[in-house]
This record gives sequence, structure tokens and C-alpha cells, in this order.
Amino acid sequence: METPRPGRMNAPGIKEPTEAIARARTGDAEAWGELYREHAPAIFRFCRRALPTREDAEDATMEIFMKLKDKLVQYDATRSFSAWLYKVSANHCWDMLRRRKIRQDKETGDLENVPLEHPDPSQLDQLIEQRTSEEVRKALDKLGGRARMALVMRYYSDMSYDEIADALGVRRAFVGVVLLRARHELRQALEGNEALAAGGAS
Amino acid sequence: MSEGQKENMKHLDEMTLLLYIERQLDRARGLEVSAHTQECDACRTLLRALERESRLLTRAMLEEDEPLPSRLAQFQERARKSMQWIWGMVFGLAATGVYALYTGYIQPWQQQLENAGFGGSNLLGLLIFQGTMWKGWQSMMTLLEVLAMVTLAGLGAMFFRRRIRRGSALALVFAGFCTVLAMPQGASATEFRHNKQVTIAKDEVIHSDLYAAGGKIRVDGTIEGDLVVAGGEVEISGHVLGDVLSSSGALRLTGKVDGNIRGYAGNVSLKGTVGRNVTLFGGEVNFDRDGKIGGSLTSFCGEESIDGHLGRDLLAFVGQINITGNIGGAARIKGGELHIDSSAEIGGPVNFEGDNKPEVSPQAKLASPVHYEKLKHGVDYSNWHYYLWQVIWAAAYILFGLVLFALMPSFSAEAVKSAERYGAAAGLGVLVGFGVPIAALIACCTVVGLFIGLATLALWDAALHFGLVIVGALVGQWLMGRTSELWPLVGRMVVGVVIVRLFTIIPHVGWLFKYGAAFWGMGAISLVVYRRFQPVIAPGTPSVPYSPPMPPNTTVGGPLPA
Repeated sequence: METPRPGRMNAPGIKEPTEAIARARTGDAEAWGELYREHAPAIFRFCRRALPTREDAEDATMEIFMKLKDKLVQYDATRSFSAWLYKVSANHCWDMLRRRKIRQDKETGDLENVPLEHPDPSQLDQLIEQRTSEEVRKALDKLGGRARMALVMRYYSDMSYDEIADALGVRRAFVGVVLLRARHELRQALEGNEALAAGGAS
Repeated sequence: MSEGQKENMKHLDEMTLLLYIERQLDRARGLEVSAHTQECDACRTLLRALERESRLLTRAMLEEDEPLPSRLAQFQERARKSMQWIWGMVFGLAATGVYALYTGYIQPWQQQLENAGFGGSNLLGLLIFQGTMWKGWQSMMTLLEVLAMVTLAGLGAMFFRRRIRRGSALALVFAGFCTVLAMPQGASATEFRHNKQVTIAKDEVIHSDLYAAGGKIRVDGTIEGDLVVAGGEVEISGHVLGDVLSSSGALRLTGKVDGNIRGYAGNVSLKGTVGRNVTLFGGEVNFDRDGKIGGSLTSFCGEESIDGHLGRDLLAFVGQINITGNIGGAARIKGGELHIDSSAEIGGPVNFEGDNKPEVSPQAKLASPVHYEKLKHGVDYSNWHYYLWQVIWAAAYILFGLVLFALMPSFSAEAVKSAERYGAAAGLGVLVGFGVPIAALIACCTVVGLFIGLATLALWDAALHFGLVIVGALVGQWLMGRTSELWPLVGRMVVGVVIVRLFTIIPHVGWLFKYGAAFWGMGAISLVVYRRFQPVIAPGTPSVPYSPPMPPNTTVGGPLPA
């Protein structure tokens, strides 16, 4: 029943650079550069998925790494560095979105109710079967801030329900609901993809 | 129909299936779901679709479709370059400040001392170290110089070659240290005497240096080396061929010393002959009519009378001074009152800077009239030199802080953090600030403790300055936000030190800020030192690092709910 995650063990393709972290903490520029080179691409991709535009993602990546210089001392070396890094990034991106009030435009709906519509299993199976990665990425771009953030945190950076709850500021019990609603939103976007692609963003 | 309905009732909802594949269900519920999906085609299909959806999402998001933008690829490089530029400038400024300090302040002072008969190169070395106490001082000085050079080289390497890490720089320093230690040192014979009463009898000859401590010390015999004494009452009526270093309540010389005398005493009486120079710190100094000093006399004391024959210059910082004797060279006096009697003879110019006009007898034989300057109290705020010196001092503090922060980053950061505990830091600061010098002075009174006492005093002084730097860093943090990283902290320190220095030059209350900051910072340092030396307690708590519970979706070997 395990979901295989291509190319990663815990979080996307990152080994734990404990020595570099220890040195970066003491202000070693070389080690800092090492950490940056190692993690910046993954964090940029995370931001690219979580935020609406490419410029936003670039700004956020820079800001996250600048923040990191101060935050590195808070990192508990017994835990996974990449997981921690994603947590910091998620918090930053969510703050950014919240400041722009993006989450209000689509997510006024009540969060705590489980979506009632029940998908037809075979129809859903077919839909998933037919869609390519690129179509999914396009559909993701059309989601609301919270839905996209939740999917990115869960399926890109493999964060736990606790971490997602923490980052989004919801109760842990509702993380599943957020994820399920996000999937529904995504399916809608995928179904209307061709029409939307022709007619422009809604 | 009814059967179909019944089956439909039993279908699992999507939420449950999602939580199941995400491993968020408890074991019992997981087993139920597992059993159901094996029976029910529709639910199995939905489960598979949800799993596929997860995979599709992960794949879509992981696929490399955009390279890292060039702006981000250059980001680190650019940031580092700009930092280097700023630090280069700060370092350069600080170095300029120190150079100015040296040429403008220390060198003229040395010049002045040389004029006063000190023909040496290093003030500290002259006052304490040179020859008098321990022959090993010479190699010790070389060691210190080499150490300073190696430290500077290490710092330079750290700053300008990022490939060399701090560890390597420190290793360099230690390598240098060990090399110097390994260098052969000339051994010297020394004799120690310690008793309630130490007497070197008239016909006794000591062929080496003598270290003596006791309540009452009498030297009637001959010492061929140096004499180092500490005691309540010291009398030298014999002959010392080397130097005398003395720390005592009273010092009386009726005999002969071929070398120098350096000492501090409550009461000093010189009736004998000194071949070279005399440096004294004391309450009262009597240079008797029969006394003779070949070199110069430098004194810091309350009351001084010069009746004897002084071969070269006189440099005196005194409350009151009477000159009735003979001075071969110049006299430079700073103090309260100066009386020059009719029998006095002074070969060189006389400079007096004091509160009261000097009383000079018209019969006194002076090479030139006394040059008198009223002693200025307080600070001349209209003089731009004053402000220049403030800038130089701030630069010197910044350099000092820079070196300490770079050498001991974690200690410095901890000290800054401790300084935030205002009450504890300030209280301990006052305690240490007053307690340590007293303890050090007590330690100085014993021969063995002399070095420890002097070293403690030096450390105490350094800690006072470092304290100001620490408070500066804290002030910088208040203004620019908290940081725990080294270089931003140094940046805040630079800003804070400038601000603290600005406060210290406020007329009338500036000194309060100065000593307040120094003691406060010193308290913070003491707190950290105390914590470092404290044994690690709480043996009951396990030392195993906290391991977080496994996230529900971890891939490696986690137990399946079904």
C-alpha cells in the first residue's frame, strides 16, 4: 500500500550535509555556499510550485536563504535538514501568499466539512490515466493558494500532516480535508483543462 | 437492487481511502479498510485511482522543467563579494585607526620616556619585564611577539583566503605557539628564599638572582644577579649587581644597586647609589641628600622630595614635589605643587604642568626658567583633536571586537546573549569589576603570585574593554534585530560600539555610560565563563538525542496499517 516516490527517500534527492551545516553555522562562507548550491534548486522548484509566478519564486528563494542565515542555529541537527528546510520554505511562501490575501479569493468555503461529492471510481481512474505531468502542472497553477500549498507540501516535499497543519495554521485533523478538497479542485481544473487553455485563465 | 444498495451503503468514502493511503488511520481502521478493498471492486478502483493521483502529483512536481534562474545561481556569489568589500573597508578603517593611535599616541609617549632616560623600545617591557625579574622574560617577549605575528597571519589568512577555514587558522596559531615553546630557552640560576624574616648577611654572596619574600627583608651582603623582593619592609644596605624589583610596604636603600630599581611601595627612601634608572610607584618618595642615581628617575607618587644627585632626567607625576638636590638632565613634572629650593640645580629645561604656579627660589641654579602650564581638568570640547581621538578610539574598539569575535565566535555570541540578562550581568559585573583587581593586587604581594596577579590584571583590563564591545553588540541588536550568526553580529557590534562611544563622550555623564557599559559587559563575560566552567549537571536525563516520531508516509520499513 506504499506510494512509491520516484527519486527520493525522504525529501527530494537530498543527502544530509551535516558537516557543511555545522560549518555554515559558524559563519563559514564556503560551507554556506555549499549548502546554497546543494539546496537552492530544490527550494526554487518548491517555490515555483507553491507560488503563482516565476518572479515570486525567485524572490522567495532569495528571501528564504537570507532568512536561513539567521535561522540556521535553530535547526536541530538530529532531524532531517531538508525536511526542516522545506518547513522554513513552506512557512515563508504561505506568509507571502497570506500577505497578498490570495487565500481569501478561493478559499472562503468552510474548511472543516468533508467534500460530499463522491467521485465515480472508474471515471477518476480514467482521468488520472489520461493526464500528463505537464497538464497536472498547468492545472496546479490554477488552484487557490491553500490548495496548491497543501499539495506541494505533501506530494513534493513529503511533509507530515503535523508539519502541514503547522504551516497552514489549521488543526491536524483537517489536513486530510484540505488535501482532499485540493484534489477535487485539481480534478476540476484537469477536466476543464482544454477548455480553459483555449479560453484563458478563469 | 436492494443488494446493490446494501453494497453501496458499505462503500468507503473517499476521505477514508485517502487517509488510508496516507497512513493516517489507526491500525484497527486500517485493517478494516484493507479487508474491504479486497472484497469491493469499486473501492479498490477508487483506492488505486487515488494512489495514482498521488504518484502523478509527485511526478509532475518533481520533474525538472525549469533550470535554476541565473539570478539565483549568482545570488550567493554576489552576496559574498559585497560582504568582502564591506569587511575589507571596515578592517582597513580599523587598521588605519590603530596606526594613527600608534603614531599619534604611543610613539610620542615612548619618545618622552626615552628622553627621560629609558633607552628601550617597549614601554611594558621597560617597566616590568626587562631583565629585572626573570631572564626568561626575554624569550617570553619573543614568544608573545611571534604569537602576535602568527595570530595576525592566521587572521589574515582567514579573511583573505576563504579556502583556509578558521580551524586551519587556529591550527596555524597553535603550530606557531608550539614552535616557539620548543625553541631553546637560556636557563638561569635562581635562588628562592621565603621566610618571615629574610636576611642576607654582610659577608654572604649570592652568585645568582635572588627571589625573596617575607615580612622583613634585609640585604646586607652581595647579590651578583637580580634581586626580586616582596615584603612588608625591605632594606638594601649591601650590593646588588643586577636590578632590583620590589613590591613592599617600605623600601629603603642605603647600599648600592648597579642596575635599575623598579618598584612600588608605600614609602621609599633612597640614600644609597643606583647605577642606572629608577622607576617608582609609591605614596611617598624621599631621594635623600646622600643618594645618587646614575640614570633617570620616573615616579608616580603622592609626595616626593629630591635632595640627592640625579644623573639624568626626572619624570614625575606627583601631588607635591620638592627639589633641593641636583638634576643632571631635564625635569618634566605633572602634578599639584612644585617647590624648587635655593640649593637646587637643574641641568636641563623644567616643564611643569600643574594646578598651582611653581614656587621657585631665585637662588636655584636652573638652565632655563621653569615653563609652567596650568593643568587642564576635564575635556576640551572645542578642540577637534578630541573628536579625532574619539574616532580613533572607536576604530580601535571595533578592531579589538573584530579580532575577538572572529577568534571566539560562540563565546562572543553567548556573552551578548548573557548581557541580555541585565540584572545578573550588571550585578556580577560590579562584583568582578571591583573584586578581581583587589584579588590580583593581593596576589601580586607574593612572589609566586606576581605573575598571576599581573596576568589577571591584564585580563581584567582586556575584559573591561571587551565588555564595552559586548554591550555595543547588544545595542546593535536592539537597533538592527537579533541575530545569532557571526558576521551580522559583528556588523551590529560595529554600529553598537559607535553608539556606545557616542554616549560616553556626553559631558559630565559620559563616564557613567562608559563604566556602566564596561561593567555590564564584563558581567556578561563572567557569566559565560562561569557557565563554561560549571560541570554538566542533570545526569538523570538521557543523553540520547531526541528522535522524532516517524512521519506517517516515510518509505523505509515503516509498518503498514494493513
